[in-house]
Amino acid sequence: MSAKLASLKSHFAHWREWELNPIVIKELRQGVRSWAVTGMLMLFLVVLFLTSLGYLISESFDLGANLQLGGQMFSAFVVILAGASVFFIPLYTGIRVAAERQENNLDLLYVSTLSPARIIRGKFLCSAYLVLLFFSACMPFMAFTNLLRGIDLPTVFFILAFLFLIVCATNMVAIFLACLPLSRPFKFLFVLYGIVQSAVIIAPLVAYALELMRSGVGAMMAGRDFWIGTLTVVGVGVAVTGLFFVLSVALVSPLSANRALPVRIYLTAFWLLGGWLSVWWVVQSSNAGRILFWTYPTLGAVVLALLVTVSSSDQLSLRVRRKIPAARLWRPLAFLFFNGAAGGLVWLAGIFVVTALMTLTIMSTFPGGPMSVDDRRTYLTLAMYAFAYALTALFLQRNFLPRRPSKLTGLIAILLAGGWALAPAIFLFFANRLSWKSVEGLQLGNVFNVLYSRDTSQLIWHEYFACGWLILVVALNVKWFLRQLKNFRPADNAVPPQGVGAEK
Amino acid sequence: MKVQVKNLRKEFGQTVAVDDISFSFDSGHIFGFVGPNGAGKTTTMRIISTIEEPTRGDVLLNGISVCEELELARRAVGYVPDTLPAHADITVHEYLDFFARAYGLKGKKRTQAVEAIEEFTNVVGIREKHLKALSKGMKQRVSLGRALVYDPDVLVLDEPAAGLDPRARVELRELLILLAERRKAILISSHILTELTEICNGVVIIERGKILETGTIEEVLKKSAPRRTVAIRLLEGNSHQNPQLLRELLQTPFVENAREVTNEIHFELTGDEAAACDILGSLIAKKFKIIEFRQTKANLEDIFMNVTKGGVQ
Repeated sequence: MSAKLASLKSHFAHWREWELNPIVIKELRQGVRSWAVTGMLMLFLVVLFLTSLGYLISESFDLGANLQLGGQMFSAFVVILAGASVFFIPLYTGIRVAAERQENNLDLLYVSTLSPARIIRGKFLCSAYLVLLFFSACMPFMAFTNLLRGIDLPTVFFILAFLFLIVCATNMVAIFLACLPLSRPFKFLFVLYGIVQSAVIIAPLVAYALELMRSGVGAMMAGRDFWIGTLTVVGVGVAVTGLFFVLSVALVSPLSANRALPVRIYLTAFWLLGGWLSVWWVVQSSNAGRILFWTYPTLGAVVLALLVTVSSSDQLSLRVRRKIPAARLWRPLAFLFFNGAAGGLVWLAGIFVVTALMTLTIMSTFPGGPMSVDDRRTYLTLAMYAFAYALTALFLQRNFLPRRPSKLTGLIAILLAGGWALAPAIFLFFANRLSWKSVEGLQLGNVFNVLYSRDTSQLIWHEYFACGWLILVVALNVKWFLRQLKNFRPADNAVPPQGVGAEK
Repeated sequence: MKVQVKNLRKEFGQTVAVDDISFSFDSGHIFGFVGPNGAGKTTTMRIISTIEEPTRGDVLLNGISVCEELELARRAVGYVPDTLPAHADITVHEYLDFFARAYGLKGKKRTQAVEAIEEFTNVVGIREKHLKALSKGMKQRVSLGRALVYDPDVLVLDEPAAGLDPRARVELRELLILLAERRKAILISSHILTELTEICNGVVIIERGKILETGTIEEVLKKSAPRRTVAIRLLEGNSHQNPQLLRELLQTPFVENAREVTNEIHFELTGDEAAACDILGSLIAKKFKIIEFRQTKANLEDIFMNVTKGGVQ
């Protein structure tokens, strides 16, 4: 700790030698030289100019004074700015990162002494500067609208700040997608997905901005609810951006690094903070149902994390093993947070159990509850199915496909769940008996059947089946789990990796 | 600086790219890394340069493990890939400046380092040119400059001469000799083996991920000394005797792999000089009109052809 403090002290003492992140300098240099950025910026300015001109010319034919002209022009500018920044900048940023991360063209910056966090921070900051560049290009036009009346300055700044946050968050998501170790066709699919998703984001974004303009931010600023809502949105935006930042850093970190540690710590902190805020909301509003804003997203996150966790390798690198605490007191905690599927599964199971218990307690203590039996069953069944599929895939991969990479495990789990859900429908189709009613019939093991079945009496059978299946796969994986637990010890006590020894 | 490759193994799924190889080389040495395509050269070089991680084994750079102390190892090694990664919209100077910054060089020190490297690699005249507009030879110079800008002790060059014209190759060779004089430990892979023989102190021959030969050039050549190649040329107008001579040689002791090469008969002599003398005497006695009987010393190319089978994983 004192060493870290000393290093921080020395860092601030030498503030004159501080330099910008090299990635930011490189990316900005490339950005200003690139035809994509300059071309897009010029196009953006031309569109803004023509829009202004169009409004002013059409208005000049009107004899009456339009006191809403500023607001109308501003709305048009918001649409153009949102379109340009949500579509173009994340796409540009993502493509640049993806090109550098190409498997057969690994950019040498990833083998420099820059830390993965610094690389991702640089990429993100550069994209934020590009957003600022577009915003500043738009600023004179927006300032002009204020002179034409129909919009107040707080609204202008609030909408711009809100838009800036959204674009930064989408930039971070784009960086994350670009960092995924996928081949070129898959990355192309992600680009297409990104374009579609941008369109999906822009519509509500513009609608919200127009709603803010209509009500006027200046008038709402005095109210407490406005600030609670604003801070919540900002908080969620920052937290999501942070999450994708941590995930991107993990993706560009070397395989031998403890990639899981920062991600699991961040997710745990995020989960705890979310839980605390939800409980506070329940207490403030005296409505137990508010806790579900934490419960269901946690379940979704656990399911996604399960797919990633079971795909982790069982082998811990020497670097990680050297960091395993020697003290037996700290080792269980390290087991949960360090690389490895076994520890990750316990960590996720812990998060799920605590969330479920907390939700049931809140529901039975505060008004607005308790959760209906069907809802409770659906929630528990879905969670048990998720764990059962993940553990089944884990068992199959570790025992029957040990020569295949462990990263296939998540995919196996998805294929199992998807295959089992589709198999009855395919059978019924060929038997010429496929109908909505037949699909809604009891299909044990089918996750979608739990969600879409109208006959809630089926839920109990799903619950029993999922529970039994989970117990079975847990029992099948016990041997593997105990082996992982046994192998989780500091490198000094461990057998050195095979092969290290005398030179030929 | 001593580079020790210890029992290195790298698997890609079921394919073993590098299979338990060990060798070492020191600063001031240029070490050639030779093998057919798919032999595991690039994988080994990428492991030494910390781009890949070994499945087993380790590489020690003066005792620093590339597996355990990645950041320290990265400061010690400079990697020159066969092609410079495609960077759009960046000039040569900006590219070198970026890597100097990335390796923590600051202020005046960075400016000086970049200028010195530009001068050393002779890219001063093209420093404001875009990377994409450069020729292959110039790109290779920039790539070398990038690897040298933070003054690493070890230099790993993967096929640096591939696609270069003869002049650029000679210039690259001179640069490498200069770098070896500056006490850099250099590992270089190339398919132009005659060039490697001229500049390398040592060599590793690898095939199917396994080392076939390793040692100093002299040691490796010495090992294959009994397999000298002998060329026989008959007097002009007597080439019709070639098939007969070939048949004769195939029945002669200490002769292997006799073949006709552009109006000459070549064979590998497995015996000593006395054996060569006996063969010559017996051929003259059998009325072959021999005008030239010369022994060619085995070079790296011959050794490579002898020890490898051209297999890939």
